Amino acid sequence: MQINANSIANVNSLVGSGNLLYGIVGIVVYAIIVALMLSVFGYSFGWIERKIIARAQYRHGPTYVGKYGFLQNMADLVKLLSKREIALSKGDNFMVRVSVPLMLSLSVFIILLLPFSPWLQATNIGFGLLLIFVAIAFFPMLVFLTGFSTGNKFGDISAQRSVLMLLSYELPMIVVVITIALVTGSYNLQGIIAAQSSHWFVILMPIGFIVMFIAMLAEFERPPFDLREADSELIAGWLTDISAPYYALVLFLDYTRMFMGSLIIAILFLGGWMGPSFLPGIVWMIAKAVVVALFVIVVRATTFRMRIDRVLHLGWLVLIPLSLINLLITYIVLLWIA
Amino acid sequence: MAITRINIGPVHPSTHGVLRLVVDLDGDTIERVEPHVGFLHRGVEKLVETRMYMQSPPYMEKLDYIAPLSYDEAYVSAVEKALGVEVKERAQYARVILLELQRIASHLLAVGTMCNDLGQMFTVFMWAFKDRDMVLKLLEEAAGNRMFYVNMRLGGLLRELPPDFEMQTLDVIDYMERRIPEYERYIEGNPVFMERMKGVGVLSQKDARNLGVTGPVLRASGIEYDVRKNNPYYVYDKLHFSVKSLEKGDNFSRYRIRMMEMRESIRLIRDAFDKMPAAGDMLGMPVKLRSPAPVNKEVRVSRELPRGEALMHMVADQQKPYRLSIRSPSFINLAALPDIAKGYRLADLFSILGSLDLVMGCVDR
Repeated sequence: MQINANSIANVNSLVGSGNLLYGIVGIVVYAIIVALMLSVFGYSFGWIERKIIARAQYRHGPTYVGKYGFLQNMADLVKLLSKREIALSKGDNFMVRVSVPLMLSLSVFIILLLPFSPWLQATNIGFGLLLIFVAIAFFPMLVFLTGFSTGNKFGDISAQRSVLMLLSYELPMIVVVITIALVTGSYNLQGIIAAQSSHWFVILMPIGFIVMFIAMLAEFERPPFDLREADSELIAGWLTDISAPYYALVLFLDYTRMFMGSLIIAILFLGGWMGPSFLPGIVWMIAKAVVVALFVIVVRATTFRMRIDRVLHLGWLVLIPLSLINLLITYIVLLWIA
Repeated sequence: MAITRINIGPVHPSTHGVLRLVVDLDGDTIERVEPHVGFLHRGVEKLVETRMYMQSPPYMEKLDYIAPLSYDEAYVSAVEKALGVEVKERAQYARVILLELQRIASHLLAVGTMCNDLGQMFTVFMWAFKDRDMVLKLLEEAAGNRMFYVNMRLGGLLRELPPDFEMQTLDVIDYMERRIPEYERYIEGNPVFMERMKGVGVLSQKDARNLGVTGPVLRASGIEYDVRKNNPYYVYDKLHFSVKSLEKGDNFSRYRIRMMEMRESIRLIRDAFDKMPAAGDMLGMPVKLRSPAPVNKEVRVSRELPRGEALMHMVADQQKPYRLSIRSPSFINLAALPDIAKGYRLADLFSILGSLDLVMGCVDR
């Protein structure tokens, strides 16, 4: 496993040379573009999810505000943002105020590292794959900290569940990531996409894809792994005492993270920005992510919530063996091809 | 390990109303559950003492707002027994049909809310609501109201069933018959559901007998007791249906028994329409200020409600009940919760609560 020394050199030269200002301005402009894109997707997915789930349940979903209720989420957002923050008397207000914006900026940071086309990427660092998974591991930790700092017993239980879940699905996810790195011989995201030019990795390692998809659902609190905010058990878990403005951010964060997870799956398994050349790479990339996200929504509409001991069971006795089998099979296939 | 005491409710998404549970947790395992009831207490039993006999049915219906007609019928038949009023034969069949329709509606909602408690995003709940609405439309045709019917009169019903009621009902129950397997295929095909329901919340046959639970909860624990069969009222002894029971007594059996009972109710309704006499009417006595003098001083009427056995124990006075005591099925079933839930996990508490199918109005009275 080699680190693409070339790209590290690029970053170093950018920082070391006189082009630092241009570099910083470029990254800031790109960050703003990415943040805008995130807002658009986060917002539309909020609407799409409501509509799809409504369709699954013989309802219409939002209809009144805007055309086909498209502005309903905006109305909700304005309502939440116009409310006052209620400071906690027992909890640690600082942590609550910091963690949710931190999670949002973490997801923007991760998306900045993702390539949307051969050139549309903030920096093409050699160990990008490792860096995004390091950054992803911060989410459960922040949930844990927020849950504990609200000083609420439901938050406590939610925080404990968060750590248990971190233990159960982070490991298989990393094993799959290592398998991908083994196949491509690099941690570079562009390199991983380039390695899929003949066949997508979903064909090479379907088991790995399934493990990764389940782990992503667990990572981003999508049903059936929404145990941390389990509304029928823990009221809202770590969000129980979060007041309205921050809750608006959390709602937005949900869709941001879903989009981010879909993008990562699209890069690792579905060939990223590659596709027939009549459309630009970014369109293919987003189309693939949208398909994954739609599947996530359908899963939400139809499944039941798992219990925490079953999640641990699934993680340790099903996903980790599966990811190791995936590693083995992939290795054998690679040897056979070579 | 240290015990964590958490307070669930009275306002909580899955306590089905205003139930407060104080739960002692050892890690994630339930050590003790203590239900606190009375948040919806309206003093109905006392209120009834201040009203004329036939002024009370509306209060009775508000006890169990999921199956109002069943409570209404139980109270009115207690009054009938006290005043010595015979129910016309055609009215008996009509009452059985309406009661079984009400049972289907109630069980559908029970399954829907149970799926909600298991973290299902309202999908089964909304399906159940839509199908339940078809039944409510039928009851509206018969009674004039969608939710609170006040349809029972001494000796019969408020009015005749509409002429096309039979046809409409048969249509709806044909639809239900196709629909119930769809629910089963969807719900039981889900591995997460099966994992969380099978072997969870076991109530043994002995415990079920000792705790006095009734209805689907009792039958899921392997005791074939149904008031409709063991102590038949109206024309239930002339109609074909069987009382189902399952052995295990876990959450899944309690869900399964409701599905089976819906099928039996469909059979009952078909049979009742077949055997219903064409001659005669089903009109009851109009509500008057003065009712006939009571024949029996003290009456007990036992009825199989969707949630279990209700017992109306009434001591009759001249124009008003001297005292009415209601044995409500939900209250007794709730009393079994601490015994059932002990030793299971926190998440199981809500699936057990969902499978007991409590209505807090009925618990608190």
